[in-house]
Amino acid sequence: MAAISQPSTLSKVRARLSDYSEVVVLISFVTLFLVFAFTTSNFLSLISITNILTIASIKGIFVLGVAMLMISGEFDLSVGSTLAVGAYVFGILMEHGLVWGGTQLLPAGLGGFAMLSALLVASLLGLVNGLIVTRSGIPSFIATLGTMLAFRGIARAMGNSELAKSNSNADVIRFTGEAPPLFGWLNGNIEWLNQMGTPAGGARMAIVWFFALVIIFVIVMRFTRYGSWVYATGGSRDAAKAQGVRTQRIIIWNFVITGLLAGLAGVIQFASRPAIDPARGEGWELIAVAACVIGGIWLEGGFGTIIGAAIGMLLLQMVEQGLILAGVDIQLFQATVGLILITAVISNTWLSRT
Amino acid sequence: MTEAVLEKVQDPFADAPVVVDMKNITKRFGTVEALRGVDFQVRAGEVRALMGDNGAGKSTLIKVLTGVHTPTSGQIIFDGEEVQVNSPADARELGIETCYQDLALIPLMSIWRNFFLGREMVTNVGPVKWLQRRKMAEQCRDSLKDIGIHIRSAEEKVGKMSGGERQSIAIGRAIHFGAKLLILDEPTSALSVKETNKVLDYIRAARDRGLPVIFITHNVNHIYQVSDSYTIIRQGQSVGTYLKGELTQQDIADLITGAREK
Repeated sequence: MAAISQPSTLSKVRARLSDYSEVVVLISFVTLFLVFAFTTSNFLSLISITNILTIASIKGIFVLGVAMLMISGEFDLSVGSTLAVGAYVFGILMEHGLVWGGTQLLPAGLGGFAMLSALLVASLLGLVNGLIVTRSGIPSFIATLGTMLAFRGIARAMGNSELAKSNSNADVIRFTGEAPPLFGWLNGNIEWLNQMGTPAGGARMAIVWFFALVIIFVIVMRFTRYGSWVYATGGSRDAAKAQGVRTQRIIIWNFVITGLLAGLAGVIQFASRPAIDPARGEGWELIAVAACVIGGIWLEGGFGTIIGAAIGMLLLQMVEQGLILAGVDIQLFQATVGLILITAVISNTWLSRT
Repeated sequence: MTEAVLEKVQDPFADAPVVVDMKNITKRFGTVEALRGVDFQVRAGEVRALMGDNGAGKSTLIKVLTGVHTPTSGQIIFDGEEVQVNSPADARELGIETCYQDLALIPLMSIWRNFFLGREMVTNVGPVKWLQRRKMAEQCRDSLKDIGIHIRSAEEKVGKMSGGERQSIAIGRAIHFGAKLLILDEPTSALSVKETNKVLDYIRAARDRGLPVIFITHNVNHIYQVSDSYTIIRQGQSVGTYLKGELTQQDIADLITGAREK
């Protein structure tokens, strides 16, 4: 009977791999990368790779917040709307300055002020989420579904308000001035990289900010007390509380950070494409959740990594770009994402089953 | 006194100072009276079993002591001083360590992270609290070794350990940090016989270090092996406190269920 009591090689490998939540997403990423590289012409070109990186980086910025929230056991479905509000604050202050009651309180084009205002407003929206979830005790999935709608309404209202009155195009804010250096810093072209190929690449500063943020978040989650408490909050909230972890505070801060990152993504996107419409960021909240889940973060919280979520986002963007290049109908992209999502979750569940 | 007393037993803790003195504790949840004027004492160096059927109020009483619940009325005297225990953090501050039945550890986290959870050793780098990972891992391993708990690696995830191993880590942690009082809430309820014996050994180890222990259980057999005295609670009231040897296992069972009245 020794054969039965000995764990099989497969289950030993599985037990070893189950410690690394990024395994599935990493294998999927490499596999899909190779598939596209061999089957799709132009996929390995500079412009294609840099496009993937740039777009994935903008979304990836708020995915980091969503990932940390999910590890602490909470959702934020309002990131897309928060991003839109942040972009509106930034865009309105850049194009019109602060106008109220017919008087120009502040001139247009104060880049630093506009950016800080956008980040502050986005953080406050995150704080609203955090307070609703911790004070009312309703599930964050529902609470942020509500604020997703509410914040979207705020974004629309801003586009139609007196703040943006001088705009002829209802709802849409377009920056018509000359782009300030701030825009270049936030999301300008990385020329030296883009000139390395023909046609020129599309690498933008968003990539730099995203990778810097990934490093910061990885360090926070692994090496600081905050990170340990985030895992504890998601892993078993009551046990964490019993050990003196201030779980409510962790959750509120995670929501604030997520709001801040959504605002930052909105500002960075506006800096390269200086126009904002009310539908900006719609559906991105689900992309973020998908990236996290594909990246190995558990829906219940407590398990998963920032790196996994970041690779998950890169994977989704790579698939979108790859399918476009392959000439596949773009409608199929969502079907593909759905398929990847389900496959990834099934694989992750299989791995972690002990 | 009760008829259940079989013989007069010498009380070895008669002169020991009282560590915890809970007086006339009541606790009401809405219209439900969970505790109806309970007195409860623990003296230095003893293992006190707190017994009662499910819903008798033993957990509520302990949660009042550990700050999870605030008593409706009553007095708590700890180490000779009246105290207000309004949160689990207050209880810890006083030196009261609790191992909850299923709230002890976080399965997805490593042993050392669990061991130091909420009390991490950190280096302050500006506002950042940088974990002293290696130091904590070493101290966790050494401290567990001191009370006879050997672990393979402090990096191992708690979720991959057996129920008994987890319970010993939780008790080891409580002994390590619990300066004055150790409370164990049903520590043996989900364990095999072999694992239970180990846990009982750790309880003895704690007592031998001079740490008073409150041991909550409804397993008469387990408390019979390690407890110095028993307090029995039924329907939110204390039935009585007895010394080891005063009662047979059958007496205890009868008092718990109310098959025999005071």
